[in-house]
Amino acid sequence: MTALYIHIPFCQRKCNYCDFVSYAGKEVTIDAYVAKLAAEIPNTEFSTIFFGGGTPTLLEPRHFEQILKNVAATFRSPSGHGGLKTAATLEITAEANPGTANQKKLRELRQLGLNRLSIGVQSFNDQHLQTLGRIHDAATAKRFYADARSAGFDNINLDLIFALPGQTLAEWKADLQQAIELNPEHLSVYNLQIEEGTPFWERYASSLPVTRYSLPTEDEELAMYETAIETLTANGYHHYEISNFARPGRVCLHNINYWRNGNYLGVGAGAHSHINGQRWSNPNCIEEYLQHSTRMPPNDSRVATDQRETLFLGLRLLDGLEQDKFTGFETEVSELMKEGLLEAAGNYYRLTRKGLYLGNQVFARFV
Amino acid sequence: MVFIMLDRIRNFCIIAHIDHGKSTLADRLLEHTRTIEKRDMRAQVLDTMDLERERGITIKAQAIRMEYNSYILNLIDTPGHVDFSYEVSRSLAACEGALLLVDATQGIEAQTLANYNLALHSNLTIIPVINKIDLPGAEVEMARNELINTLGFKADEILLASAKEGRGIAEIIEAVIARVPPPQGDPQAPLQALIFDSHYDSYRGVIVYLRIVNGTLNKGDKIRLMGTGKEFEALEIGTLKLELIPRDSLSAGEVGYLIGNIKNIADAHVGDTVTRTRAPAPAPLHGYQPIKPMVFCGFYPINGEDYELLKESIEKLQLNDAALFYEPETSAALGFGYRCGFLGLLHLEITQQRLTREFNIGLIATTPNVVYKVNLTNKKTLLIDNPTKLPDLSEIESIEEPYLKVSIFTPAEYVGAVMTLATDKRGTYINLEYLDPKRAMITYELPLAEVIIEFHDLLKSVTRGYASMDYEQIGYRPSDLVKLDILINSEPVDALSFIVHRDRAYYYGKKMTERLVEEIPQHQFSVPVQAAIGGKIIARETIKARRKDVLAKCYGGDITRKRKLLEKQKEGKKKMKLIGRVEIPQEAFLAVLRINQ
Repeated sequence: MTALYIHIPFCQRKCNYCDFVSYAGKEVTIDAYVAKLAAEIPNTEFSTIFFGGGTPTLLEPRHFEQILKNVAATFRSPSGHGGLKTAATLEITAEANPGTANQKKLRELRQLGLNRLSIGVQSFNDQHLQTLGRIHDAATAKRFYADARSAGFDNINLDLIFALPGQTLAEWKADLQQAIELNPEHLSVYNLQIEEGTPFWERYASSLPVTRYSLPTEDEELAMYETAIETLTANGYHHYEISNFARPGRVCLHNINYWRNGNYLGVGAGAHSHINGQRWSNPNCIEEYLQHSTRMPPNDSRVATDQRETLFLGLRLLDGLEQDKFTGFETEVSELMKEGLLEAAGNYYRLTRKGLYLGNQVFARFV
Repeated sequence: MVFIMLDRIRNFCIIAHIDHGKSTLADRLLEHTRTIEKRDMRAQVLDTMDLERERGITIKAQAIRMEYNSYILNLIDTPGHVDFSYEVSRSLAACEGALLLVDATQGIEAQTLANYNLALHSNLTIIPVINKIDLPGAEVEMARNELINTLGFKADEILLASAKEGRGIAEIIEAVIARVPPPQGDPQAPLQALIFDSHYDSYRGVIVYLRIVNGTLNKGDKIRLMGTGKEFEALEIGTLKLELIPRDSLSAGEVGYLIGNIKNIADAHVGDTVTRTRAPAPAPLHGYQPIKPMVFCGFYPINGEDYELLKESIEKLQLNDAALFYEPETSAALGFGYRCGFLGLLHLEITQQRLTREFNIGLIATTPNVVYKVNLTNKKTLLIDNPTKLPDLSEIESIEEPYLKVSIFTPAEYVGAVMTLATDKRGTYINLEYLDPKRAMITYELPLAEVIIEFHDLLKSVTRGYASMDYEQIGYRPSDLVKLDILINSEPVDALSFIVHRDRAYYYGKKMTERLVEEIPQHQFSVPVQAAIGGKIIARETIKARRKDVLAKCYGGDITRKRKLLEKQKEGKKKMKLIGRVEIPQEAFLAVLRINQ
């Protein structure tokens, strides 16, 4: 079955580290954009639904209703009552940013069938939040989390970022502690990546030592990552992907589908799709997307995916990947095992702890 | 037989410092004499190789025959770089006159003087021309005074021109006719023809460019090259325009080409004399020198499988470059490769670039070195062109290294900086002379080994690009030299060894290790980089182990982009040489060349 990704490219303000397709100040086009999105979604069954951004919670409940109406057929209750009844097992996630929805709005979203929230907390340190260019402070994030809980969301992820400019290990430990105290079902902890084209790139990727100085060293990054793994697993979170941790039974099914190189349809500006071995993407620019008419792109604008992608994506999961998927890469596997980066576990190959830290060196061997 | 009237022939060349406008002037002369029509003009016709165009220099000489008012004007092009000074001298020997071109914005530079001296040595009539007078920065009076005061020209001898704008071209041609003496020579004497250039054509074999000094060469003649003793048949002879114009005979004073059944360019040395096998000349023309490479380095394929490709490619390059010397060698670190000899560092760099670009070979070039004379305790003498071949210290009585006399032209304000640099490079001060209050000529004797490593770049950098230099070889001198070995992950890497003065060994060792730490990527383990003399470690740095390298985020929209990143990472690895357990990038092998950057 196919997963559905719905991209909402609107933000109140662009964060300093973000290189996703999202725009500030284009909110006037939201109505037209949502209409276009709704039209782009085919009337078929989906395994999971994910609203990503940008900031999906900038949309009004009626927008969600309009979009979900189109996919409603796929999860209309078996009794055939119609309306927006969602199957209890269908995971429908929305990314949410603190400060963009109150309790009432969150309750309406929950009632529309959304059953998982992924909240961009990033840090509980106001100074770091400011450096990142976030629109909220820590108190707003905590209030937002509480509102989501009282709105009925019982499956919540918090995003955190570490290795921030000037961040100490102690500060990171404090962030982890506060996250654990909130007791979310899921945590994503990302090492900050300085992406080209972002204000952070301008600021930190320059070779001026004075600016590089404030970024944690490789050893400090590693210590933060190790601390995250130890702290979260000690508190009952299962480490199931390089940057993802979940309570038992609360892994993100939508994301696991990416790592298993499964089928997904992406709708909206800049959204990527992968169906039956082919990848393609929509135009990044909202205006261009609104003009963009074809639902499926012509063959020549698609890119074939292959076993290589299956391998480097699958190895991101800590359980690894079935050994029979590695056919043809026996040399690489045996080299990596000798280097202590890969190990066999049952009929799977998976990253060792060392391999986890040096994942790119493993992945690069398979591309 | 019809002989061309000698007094209607003028054989001349253009000599100049690099970028003073030689190629542009040649273009204008061809246009003005209607040898080539303007519409057919490709800018700078005489520079045919891409690399020459790119670097603004002329590597291989060619000749072209112009006809003008019943005169035959043979323009012989000369290589513009000091690496090719012997080729320059042979081109000059084929002429009676030279246009000495000076850039009005620059004045006399090091190669102006070097070429002037070569031309004087060949007894040429020299016509001074100040070029680029159209440029806003032109200082015609300054250039004129330098020509008068430094080179001893008379004011009324000096012509003014702007080759770019076509100004002064007619006057230059008139001066060539009026001032350059016609060639002398006896068409009836035994044949003596000077080879001043040759090149390999894949269809025709070796094409030899020559100047008939005495006698007459006829199509079909059996010929002998007096230097090598090899014999061939003159299958086709003729004169040169933009294409080859076949003729039945060429006689004394003329410039032309010869195609024989010559397969190997090394059989037609520049400077050799062509004579007939029947009634040969009693002696060759003087000035012939066999080719002597000055600088050596090893070329190794990054991938061992490319060894055959490298071999074929070097062979192909050598078809057109008799000065390129090569022989197979083996390195413990790099495997099978070739030891190559070059006329100078530029020649080396051009060869390396051509192998990479034209033949698409991933190549490692080892640190360039000169030829050392090693006097052994058993009184024997070895010539060492590869540091790894240096015998054990206990067997060495003394080592000698080649020296140069280097002339440096610089604006007066940089005299101090230049002298500091030259002293730093083990130079011995010889002379300082002011051309005018603003410019000086500094002469030093320097070891060739110091000059081939970064000297020219440093000279340019301490003088903000204003200095120019030229050199001549002055033989071997004893020096206190040692071999510096580099160990990576405790393994000696022979390809990184080099010979250095004992007083400089610590400095080079420290700089080399620092440089290598920057060039070699992190590994999963820490990698010590050490410098040693005879087993004693004199410097050490460590490449820290790579401990974390993983993409934190990879979701549906990232996959294609992340895959490209990973592919790039993998490609980067392919360009590295695995030595022991350490992957070393190409650049690292030239680290010593960039020690001060």
